[in-house]
Amino acid sequence: MKKFKFKGLKFLFFVIALLILLAVFDFENIAKIMDKVANMLYRLIPIFILVIVITALINYFLKPKKIMKYFGKDSGKKGILYALLGGIISHGPMYAWYPMLDDMRKHGLKFGLIAIFMYARAVKIPLLPFMIGLFGLPFTIIANIYILIFAVLQGKVIDLLISEKKR
Amino acid sequence: MIIAVIALVAVFQTYVTPDMLSRFFGHGRALDIFDGTFIGAISSGNGAIGYVVADGLKQQGVSSYALVAFILAWTTLSFTHLPAEASVFGVKFTAYRNILTFLSTLFIAYLSVTTLRILF
Repeated sequence: MKKFKFKGLKFLFFVIALLILLAVFDFENIAKIMDKVANMLYRLIPIFILVIVITALINYFLKPKKIMKYFGKDSGKKGILYALLGGIISHGPMYAWYPMLDDMRKHGLKFGLIAIFMYARAVKIPLLPFMIGLFGLPFTIIANIYILIFAVLQGKVIDLLISEKKR
Repeated sequence: MIIAVIALVAVFQTYVTPDMLSRFFGHGRALDIFDGTFIGAISSGNGAIGYVVADGLKQQGVSSYALVAFILAWTTLSFTHLPAEASVFGVKFTAYRNILTFLSTLFIAYLSVTTLRILF
C-alpha cells in the first residue's frame, strides 16, 4: 500500500507561525483574518468536494496515460485531437509528464503535439467549478474554446519553427 | 496546503488593501493583462491554489482581464520550471513554447473578456 505523504507541511507551519505572530502583535486584525478564512472555506469547500469527485471519475473512466499513448501514434488530425484530450484530462505538475513525453518524442512524436498537449492543460475539467464560480459559465465556455484554439495554433507554429531537419 | 493558502490569502486581503492593489493594477486593459500574466508566470503551484488566490484578488476589485491572464499564466507558464523543461526538450523548443504561451495568454485574456462583453 502506498504510504500517505503529507504535502506542504513546512508551508502550513510557516502560515501557523505567521498567524501566531499576528495574534501577538496585531490582535485587532487576527479576528478579521479568521473571519475571512471562515468565509472563504464556507464558499470553497463545496467546490473542493466537486473537484475531488470529478478528478476521481476522470481517473477511473478515462485513464490519461492510455490516451497519451494514442496521440504518439498519429500526427495528423487525430494526433491533434488526442493531444488536446490528453492535455485536458492530464493532471499533476507538468514536469511529472516530461519523462513520458520525452520518451514519446524519441519515438517520433512531433514537438508541435507536445506544445498542444502542454497548452491544453490550461483546460482543467476538475477545476471548472472554480472557474465558473469566479467568472461565470458563459465566460468559462468562451475562455476554454480560445485556449483550445490557441493550443492548436501553438502546435502549428512550433512545427513550423522546429522542422524535422532542424531537430 | 489549501487551508494554509486560504489563511495566507486572508492575511494578504487584510494588509494589502484594494487601494494598494489598484496602484499595481487598474492602469488600463493592456497593462492589467500584462501584470496578471507576469505575476501568474512567476508564481507556481497547484491549479486550485491559483483559483483561491484569484478569488482573493477579485474580492479586492482586480479586473477580469488581469484575473484571466493570471489564471492562464499560473496553469501554463512557470519560470521556475524552465530549466527542467529545457533540459528535457532542448532550449529552442522551451524558448519558442514559452514565448508563444506568454503571447497566447495575453491574447486569450483580451479576447475572452471582449467576446463576453460583445455577446452578453
